[in-house]
Amino acid sequence: MGKERKLKILIADDSEMNRSILIDMLGDEFDFIEAENGKEALSILKKRSAEIDLLLLDIMMPEMDGLDVLRQMNASHEIVSTPVIVISAETDPDKIKEVYDLGVTDFIGRPFDEAIVWHRVTNTIMLFSKQKTLENKVIEQVVEKEKLSKMMINILGHIVEFRNQESGQHVLHIRTLTELILRHLSEKTKKKRAAGVRSGQSGNLSSPEGTGGLLFDLSEEEIAVISTAAAIHDIGKIGIPGEILNKPGRLTDEEFTVIKSHTEIGAAMLDALPAYQDEPLVRRAYEICRWHHERYDGRGYPDGLKGDEIPISAQIVALADVYDALTSERVYKKAIPHETAVQMILDGQCGQFNPELLECLREIEGTICEEMRRSEEREAALGKNGDDTVNLSREVLERKGLMISDRTLGLLEHERMKYRFFADMSEEVQFEFTLSPPSLMLSEWGAAYLGLDEVIMNPLQDPKVLKLANRKDIERLSAALRGTTPEDPIVKMDYCIRQNGGERWMKIIGRAIWAGSDSAEYQGAIGKMIDVHETRVKMAELEEMASHDPMTGLYNHRAAKIRIQNMIAERPDCRFALAIFDLDHFKQANDTYGHQFGDQVLIHMAQRLQRVVRAGTVTSRVGGDEFLLFLEYKEHVDLAINRIFNALMNGDYEQFHISVSLGVAKTDTVGKDYDTLFHAADQALYSVKRAGGGQFRFYDSSSSETLSAISPIDGCEENTGENGEKGE
Amino acid sequence: MTLEECYAALEGDYKEVVGRLRTERLVQKFVLKFLNDGSYDLLVTSMENQNYDDAFRAAHTIKGVGQNLSFNKLYKSSHLLTEALRNKNIEEAAPLYEQVKADYAQTVSAIRQYEASI
Repeated sequence: MGKERKLKILIADDSEMNRSILIDMLGDEFDFIEAENGKEALSILKKRSAEIDLLLLDIMMPEMDGLDVLRQMNASHEIVSTPVIVISAETDPDKIKEVYDLGVTDFIGRPFDEAIVWHRVTNTIMLFSKQKTLENKVIEQVVEKEKLSKMMINILGHIVEFRNQESGQHVLHIRTLTELILRHLSEKTKKKRAAGVRSGQSGNLSSPEGTGGLLFDLSEEEIAVISTAAAIHDIGKIGIPGEILNKPGRLTDEEFTVIKSHTEIGAAMLDALPAYQDEPLVRRAYEICRWHHERYDGRGYPDGLKGDEIPISAQIVALADVYDALTSERVYKKAIPHETAVQMILDGQCGQFNPELLECLREIEGTICEEMRRSEEREAALGKNGDDTVNLSREVLERKGLMISDRTLGLLEHERMKYRFFADMSEEVQFEFTLSPPSLMLSEWGAAYLGLDEVIMNPLQDPKVLKLANRKDIERLSAALRGTTPEDPIVKMDYCIRQNGGERWMKIIGRAIWAGSDSAEYQGAIGKMIDVHETRVKMAELEEMASHDPMTGLYNHRAAKIRIQNMIAERPDCRFALAIFDLDHFKQANDTYGHQFGDQVLIHMAQRLQRVVRAGTVTSRVGGDEFLLFLEYKEHVDLAINRIFNALMNGDYEQFHISVSLGVAKTDTVGKDYDTLFHAADQALYSVKRAGGGQFRFYDSSSSETLSAISPIDGCEENTGENGEKGE
Repeated sequence: MTLEECYAALEGDYKEVVGRLRTERLVQKFVLKFLNDGSYDLLVTSMENQNYDDAFRAAHTIKGVGQNLSFNKLYKSSHLLTEALRNKNIEEAAPLYEQVKADYAQTVSAIRQYEASI
């Protein structure tokens, strides 16, 4: 059974009749996907682009018309990889031209003629698939050719290395370091240019020199040419007798002159090449061979060139050569550590270099060792320099307007499939927002969950979106995202949405998309939204449970303490009093009438307490029959305490006679530390107890040490005397 | 009633449609399918609700289908209605709408007779 994939056509037409006529006309050799409107078509395209071979597009459609679909496809470059045939009854030539300008391959007018539709569709598909195959062939051939020539150059370089008995990785190192410096220089230049353009716009007409230093932006291709040429910088050494080249001892002046001539020999060899004289690679190699021993101050050889007379390619290779010579082991010397080598070069111990290049060296110093190691690894792993070459040829091809291969599309499709699977499994609303054109894309699950479409154009004007979220919240999120930086683009916030008439809490984690690391232009955001409603409600419940005494519903001691500490901290200028009271003879209530009755008394007391205190007073059951209250006061707290005490004492509960003992401590007297306040109030309460109960009393620091020792009856203090007497 | 007679009754061009769609079977299939197309209902509701954007689209679709099936009479009137609605010329559209209604009724009645005879 032939399992050959059928070609797939996406038909976007709002009329079911029309779609079905087309499907019948085109017959069994194709697979079809149908879309009822532009939005649906676009959403299908975004998800399944790689498997769709052709889009048949109607212009007049609800939701989003065909022209908008084409515009979106242009914005996302989708139009380059998916051919489009427009079907329309349109006869206005201007309109038809507009459609062609939007990049469609063909136009079919109504009414459909079976033969015409079939032929146009097949032709278009064949054309595209041929083009794709050709592209892949071209890429493969360019890659193959690049690989061969690079390999040849490397072999040449290694011959020299071998003859030179530089068994290390000299050629590789020179190439790597040269490339590193070139890249860095090129990046710096780009930045300078950007800065230059900016200052130019602001009216400051600075000359290019005004921006300072080398202006040197290179394409990938030029960087590759120079660093490849660098591999044969010493090719002239082939012409030097081996016994001089590899003489272990010191060279005589004559011998040194012979060695020096390798620069000119190399240059002459290249000059004598019968062909390729105009090739950039040969030109660069010539410069490098001849002048990689020149120095910036004119003291190098063979021509004694000075400053910028020396081509930049040769200057860079000279620097790389010196660095590698220092850091490699040779017959006559040990390897010098990286830091020392860089310092020696910077100090001018190996001759003068262009200060700009030295600056470069300083700036990339930290990355050199790592890059060298990586390039050695790559070389060892590949054995063939496929990687870079592919990058290069791809770049070249893409610049010529060609496209990526089927294999890449396949991989992309695989990633999409994976992404969709995980997105659906995670039960998260995943979104992607782009500013221009303003659109919001939701994951399939997310769209279903929120009851929105997967693709929403102009989401900030969309009534369904605005029904779901407050405009204020959307603006808050937008402001937060715009407030991020490319270095720290993540935003987390909780967000309340309206759904099915209720409110739900969602947590949003978003990442702003910034274009370019330098200019940093906000382009939109991606992110996810997780339903945290249940968790949040549960947390609130748990918090409620954890902070309250289950029997009386008052705060428990822990929660009261936190509240009180917060109040003290929030209002540093206010005065507060903390009171603790308990029930006198409560044990009798339990013993006589049972614990259940005792509990009822406690509940009754809690209600009595809540009735009598003003709003803002913290009340709590500290434990057993002990209660706490905490209140703010202006001038005197005595009257308030007196009022509360009397109200608490007022009336019995069923057969049980209610009497309380109450101790008070004021922040004025003992300060604002909670534990000190509590302890002081407890001491005051204790002294009331010792005096027989049924009173209240303020804590007084002067008597604190003696409180528990003195006779409780004498313990009345300040002006609490009569008020503190047993009420009724 | 033959398909050709049906086309004569609805004032369409039978020869032309068979020329384009190649087989009588295909033409028959879509002619019968025309009875289930929702565009006419959409046109009527949209016109009643004075929703002229939707009415325009519905007229446009009827025109397209009419053209594809060579229902020439219906195609012509729906074409005129489409243009009037495109220009939001409601006064002009009113009589054209009546014409489309009449032509649609004629078309559907012819197809029903044909359907009953096969």
